[in-house]
Amino acid sequence: MRLSGLQKEILSLYRQCLRECRKKPDASRSHFKTFARNEFDKNMSLDKRDFAAIEFLLRKGRRQLDMYASPGVKDIKT
Amino acid sequence: MVSIARSALLRQTGAAGPIARPSVIAHGVRATAFHTTAQKSLLAPPPQRIEGSVNDPAPVPETSPSHGSYHWTFDRVVAASLIPLTVAPFAAGSLNPTLDAILASTLLIHSHTGFQNIVIDYIPKKRMPGIRRLFVWGLNAATAVIGLALYEFETTDVGLVETIKRIWRA
Amino acid sequence: MAALRSTPFRVLGSARPSLRLAAAAPVRGFAQLADGATKSLHASEGNERLKTFQIYRWNPDQPTEKPRMQSYTLDLDKTGPMVLDALIRIKNELDPTVTFRRSCREGICGSCAMNINGTNTLACLCRIPTETNADLKIYPLPHTYVVKDLVPDLTQFYKQYKSIKPYLQRDTPSPDGKEYRQSKADRKKLDGLYECILCACCSTSCPSYWWNSEEYLGPAILLQSYRWLVDSRDERHEQRKDALNNSMSLYRCHTILNCTRTCPKGLNPGLAIAEIKKEMSF
Repeated sequence: MRLSGLQKEILSLYRQCLRECRKKPDASRSHFKTFARNEFDKNMSLDKRDFAAIEFLLRKGRRQLDMYASPGVKDIKT
Repeated sequence: MVSIARSALLRQTGAAGPIARPSVIAHGVRATAFHTTAQKSLLAPPPQRIEGSVNDPAPVPETSPSHGSYHWTFDRVVAASLIPLTVAPFAAGSLNPTLDAILASTLLIHSHTGFQNIVIDYIPKKRMPGIRRLFVWGLNAATAVIGLALYEFETTDVGLVETIKRIWRA
Repeated sequence: MAALRSTPFRVLGSARPSLRLAAAAPVRGFAQLADGATKSLHASEGNERLKTFQIYRWNPDQPTEKPRMQSYTLDLDKTGPMVLDALIRIKNELDPTVTFRRSCREGICGSCAMNINGTNTLACLCRIPTETNADLKIYPLPHTYVVKDLVPDLTQFYKQYKSIKPYLQRDTPSPDGKEYRQSKADRKKLDGLYECILCACCSTSCPSYWWNSEEYLGPAILLQSYRWLVDSRDERHEQRKDALNNSMSLYRCHTILNCTRTCPKGLNPGLAIAEIKKEMSF
């Protein structure tokens, strides 16, 4: 399947999220994973032609990743 | 007793209503669609990408005076020298082929740097490197072709100033 | 450097109030009081001065909904004279979900920069036009990502400000070990530069900045660059100039001068940029 540029960016963001999860302590790793998954699942129903919304969510996701990736964040509630 | 007083108060405010009108008018649920100007999707600025985290400074580009200050000064000198060059043939009244050649080449350089500025402005290198390269080389090719044409025109034909003169008189 | 301030007649000529007007407040305050008293009498007869404000609305929690304009009607006689007063009143009394940044309400913090009737200004320094037939349109700063309603995302703007190192850089200690002294003439060079409050009105009104905000610094940051370039106490003059010496940072300015036109503080970023270019050219 050929992916559009936007789809590739979303997938790369998801991969980055999972990679960051691996850096978290063992005990809370699964929490981070479910949180990331939930965040993506929330917007599964989005119309794929709604570029403005998708780009906004992508930016928001990057910001969130930036924040939660900092080593000070040890655990997360899902 | 209290209830009577209260109802009287209420009645009072009710009567005063039209006089001491609430300054706030019920907010209309008028919500218009968002259209500032007509939709023209000719060429929109590509979305901004922010590099690094919020607390990092924006990256500072490398120093290159040939793209910066020298380029700018050269631009201004060429533009300023065009003024006497365009006036000179008319003021002198004579047609000097050397002067004509200088005018043609200065015009060419002036328009080249002008178009170069447009390309740098509207086709950001970071976001569309391929298109940028295409346009830069397209511009170089166009300048080369026009340079060649002007050379031919100057050497085998009448020259720039004479042409304008003839068209003017025609 | 007094010339860096744009001339007063230009500021007065535009519909925006200047600081000069605010300085004459006591007299004007009285006039307004008297005015308000008579007007409220009229209001009781049913001719309030109603003004409609159209405000850009967009909620990040519903990203699929398109941005829209929402209208609010206020009685001008019972509202303060500035657009910010009206906004605060709308938020207090009509719709608490309207979101905007504000802090000092006197034009010194630069929080309430927004696009009012097509001009970027500070809402706290912008008088509400008194004619009541035309709606007042309020948008967030143009070509910025919107965080919510009238709140723009200025991350890139602040990152660029950080990149010019906006602080005194020195190696030699002061001769008397106390403070870095400056002659009166040197201090005067900073007038018209230090007043900038970084409200981003000028940068977001610059077409060059709309296109190249990633690399071009924009008028506000360049004005600040110049402020540190002319400071006689700074010792990193050459490094600062080198940082600007490339095709993007400075030279995307094409003297459009929207910056000078829009500056709510009456400064002249266009002239500051021209001075930098002049200094770099020889």
